[in-house]
Amino acid sequence: MSVLLLAVALILAAGASAVLLRGTPRLADRLYIVLMLAGAVTGLSQAVVVLRGGPDISAGLPGTLPGGAWDFGLDPLSAWFLLPVLGVGACAGVFGIGYLGSERGHRSVAANHALFALLLVGLTGVVTAQAVVPFLASWEVMALCAYLLVMFEHEQAEVRRAGLIYIVLTHLSTLALIGMFAALSANATGRSFTELGLANQSPGTARTVALGLALVGFGIKAGAVPLHFWLPGAHAAAPSHVSAVLSGVMLKVGIYGLVRVLFLVGGAPAWFGWTLFGLGLLSGVLGVLWALAQHELKRLLAYHSVENIGIILLGLGVGVLGVAYGEPGVALLGFTGALLHTLNHALFKGLLFLGAGAVLRATGTRMIDQLGGLGRELPWTAVAFGVGSVAIVGLPPLNGFVSEWTVFQGLLAAGASRESLRYAVVGAAGLGLIGALALACFTKLDGTLFLGRLRSATARPHPVRDPGPIMLGPMLTLAGLCVGIGLLPVVVLRPARQIAVGLVTGLDGRDLAEAAWIADAARVTVLGVGLLAVIAGLLLLRRRLPASGAARLAPTWGCAAAASTSRMQYTASSYAAPLLAAFGPLAGVHVSRTADSFHSSAADPVQDGVVLPAWRMLGLTSVLLRGMQGGRLRWYLLSVIFTLVVLLFYLTNAGRTP
Amino acid sequence: MILGPLLTLCLVLAVAPALPGLATRTRAFLTGRRGAPVLQLYRDLAKLFQKNVVYSRTTTPVFRIAPVVVIATVVVAATLLPLDGHAALLSFRGDLVAFTGLLGLGRFALVLAGLDTGSSFEGMGASREVTVSAFAEPALFLCLTVLVLATGELSLAGMLGEPLAAVWPGAAPSLVLAAAALFMLALAETSRVPVDDPATHLELTMIHEVIVLDHSGPELAMILLGNAVKLGLFGALVVGVLVPLGRLPAWLAPVVLVAGLGVVAVGVGIVESCMARLRMNRVPQFLVAASALAVFGVILLLR
Repeated sequence: MSVLLLAVALILAAGASAVLLRGTPRLADRLYIVLMLAGAVTGLSQAVVVLRGGPDISAGLPGTLPGGAWDFGLDPLSAWFLLPVLGVGACAGVFGIGYLGSERGHRSVAANHALFALLLVGLTGVVTAQAVVPFLASWEVMALCAYLLVMFEHEQAEVRRAGLIYIVLTHLSTLALIGMFAALSANATGRSFTELGLANQSPGTARTVALGLALVGFGIKAGAVPLHFWLPGAHAAAPSHVSAVLSGVMLKVGIYGLVRVLFLVGGAPAWFGWTLFGLGLLSGVLGVLWALAQHELKRLLAYHSVENIGIILLGLGVGVLGVAYGEPGVALLGFTGALLHTLNHALFKGLLFLGAGAVLRATGTRMIDQLGGLGRELPWTAVAFGVGSVAIVGLPPLNGFVSEWTVFQGLLAAGASRESLRYAVVGAAGLGLIGALALACFTKLDGTLFLGRLRSATARPHPVRDPGPIMLGPMLTLAGLCVGIGLLPVVVLRPARQIAVGLVTGLDGRDLAEAAWIADAARVTVLGVGLLAVIAGLLLLRRRLPASGAARLAPTWGCAAAASTSRMQYTASSYAAPLLAAFGPLAGVHVSRTADSFHSSAADPVQDGVVLPAWRMLGLTSVLLRGMQGGRLRWYLLSVIFTLVVLLFYLTNAGRTP
Repeated sequence: MILGPLLTLCLVLAVAPALPGLATRTRAFLTGRRGAPVLQLYRDLAKLFQKNVVYSRTTTPVFRIAPVVVIATVVVAATLLPLDGHAALLSFRGDLVAFTGLLGLGRFALVLAGLDTGSSFEGMGASREVTVSAFAEPALFLCLTVLVLATGELSLAGMLGEPLAAVWPGAAPSLVLAAAALFMLALAETSRVPVDDPATHLELTMIHEVIVLDHSGPELAMILLGNAVKLGLFGALVVGVLVPLGRLPAWLAPVVLVAGLGVVAVGVGIVESCMARLRMNRVPQFLVAASALAVFGVILLLR
């Protein structure tokens, strides 16, 4: 039996233990944590072996199953995506034990843990499947488990609504994928990925259709604008540790799918690259702008996932364009950047959602404007959240910088080429805008949550403090990984680049030489360590100044205005207002004000501006058809005859033309 | 090899505090006043470093670490620039992203320190700072894109030295446009007129000054010094684009650089003496204009 199957079995056992031992919660919790971690470590060890250049691993399910052989396996691409699935998944799973501890008794906590384990298994299946049927089967397991997990607090109407939108969209995505696989297997001899790849090496209608459907199917799953609108609701509604996996890992399955299809068809045409590039730019800028407008912690983080998916798509787009225009060096940078950002985003977005969960558990609210000054009460949460914030903004010396740096290089190198590829250089300015807006958004979040003073009018009923080690441990682990990758990027740069090499055709010796990349990564290490050293040195020097001993404490300087209250502080809304005003209607902010009140709320321009009105119009126009259902037999007969006549005309004409 | 860039870096760090003084002095001279001495900031810094500090009771360690981060990021960012046009202390492909990222980290820290006090004035300043930077950042990337397109190099040290001098004849219009845009960005990034007025005394109209209302003593000194060095870095970028420093002998380049920084500072003073501060909602338009200049530069090169 393969070690990979053992890992899956351990995770399933963890889920089963939560249900079977629910009578003895302490034992069940411990067993769940042990089994979950054991499963994750087992699976991750396999992924690391493959990524370090070991042979591919394959693991078929025994017995006869419908739809051909159910082959699973690990090639470097699968192994790369298995890292966030099991790494972030296990961290979130352990966090979930602490997070849902207080819910025990009035909600089905054991079922939630079991479904969570099943979700991880589904995700593992998706990224390791080597044939169509096991891929789609795992895809459905993943989608349905995610639906059930989103519906955890189903007594709230808002949650049910988010769940409904999610399940409709995820099935649209499955539908598109079935169509995509049908198109890909039109000329194939079997349904394994290898056979699909062999059948689709040359351009043709089937390949074009398949690429278009892949954009729709995987685009919905990844949450690219304009197919993102299911995402903020669902991710905000789920319990926080589930949100961490949905936002950090499940969106990446869409990216995995796109990359896998690129592998199968061996390079895509330029229109596909420009579409990815455009979608990336659109998702990046609009995602962060809409995040800035949010007042609710988890919705804000969910919109940031849209932004980061945009950055990944930008990288993928540059990669595809580089291949299409014969610039392998550019393509290598684009693909590597996209793969790196996939992993990095999983780490820091997982971390941020877990941090949001800790804040939510401590304070009971997700509304940012009611919080403030939590840094003193939740110091460790604040530190972990701060690390995640700096990472997601893409600032050195953390991991977000490493991947954005690589994508930037791809964009700038594209500009230096002589093909029409050079117009992709506008993406650099776009990525700069995205970074600056993300900085605005996360200073707003950190400043309002953890700094200043409590903003809500009513004081908290009880003091709040950091969560216990079960919740803090996963957060600090992820924060440590963000710092580690930021300071030592070569560890992830090499495997990501190696996978990208497989996607790029026409590499010559200069592009293949790894030495320059490793040297650059080493200099990023020097930069990061140097920066930290300078900061530490200056802090030590600061202590030695004569004035250091006698600091005086005083109230905040009110500029001659006496008795300022905590309600007079800047809130998240007022902080973001000038920026949002500058972007006008694009930001989707609705302001209602009277003489003595002011309220601003954020709407999703796609969902509330396009999709729901269109849905309502559909409902209204279908009223017009109601007359046909009058119960009169002659109308039914007439419509049947009418249809038959039309069909007859069609068939006779269709028969004549050739 | 490393000694030359290191000495130039020290030189720039040493003369940086004179730049705001020079700008202010120019402004005073042109408006018929005498003004503070050029070296006033050195005296201010020396005094502030010896002073005691007062911390707000609302603040957390973020408030104390932020000024150190501000100055550290600016200094480390300076190591990425080939100040004398020959070499940088640290250089790699795409290091311009690290340059902007480091400045971004400094801003992140400063803005959080402002929010840490819980003062509505400082929140206001923080909000304005990130608003201005959101428009400045794309413009800065467009300027750097002009340099990348002109030279085909991906590192600051690669593009600002000899390669830029070599492509000057062909790419002159774009490079002049980029230098103009960089000068406008220097005004915005270091809080000068027309984006912000360092001489204002009304909190409601301030951007940068109002974030640091609660900072005192050495912390305030570090922020002021960081801002002066930032002006020096942007000035060095402008000089690096306009003057082929890499073609000058190694001993002359730093001298020309310092002279160029002086000219930039005088230019800042001239702008300040003949322009009023823009209304807050006009500031984005100013920065979009800078972006537009750089976009023209990009278009001329993509043609």
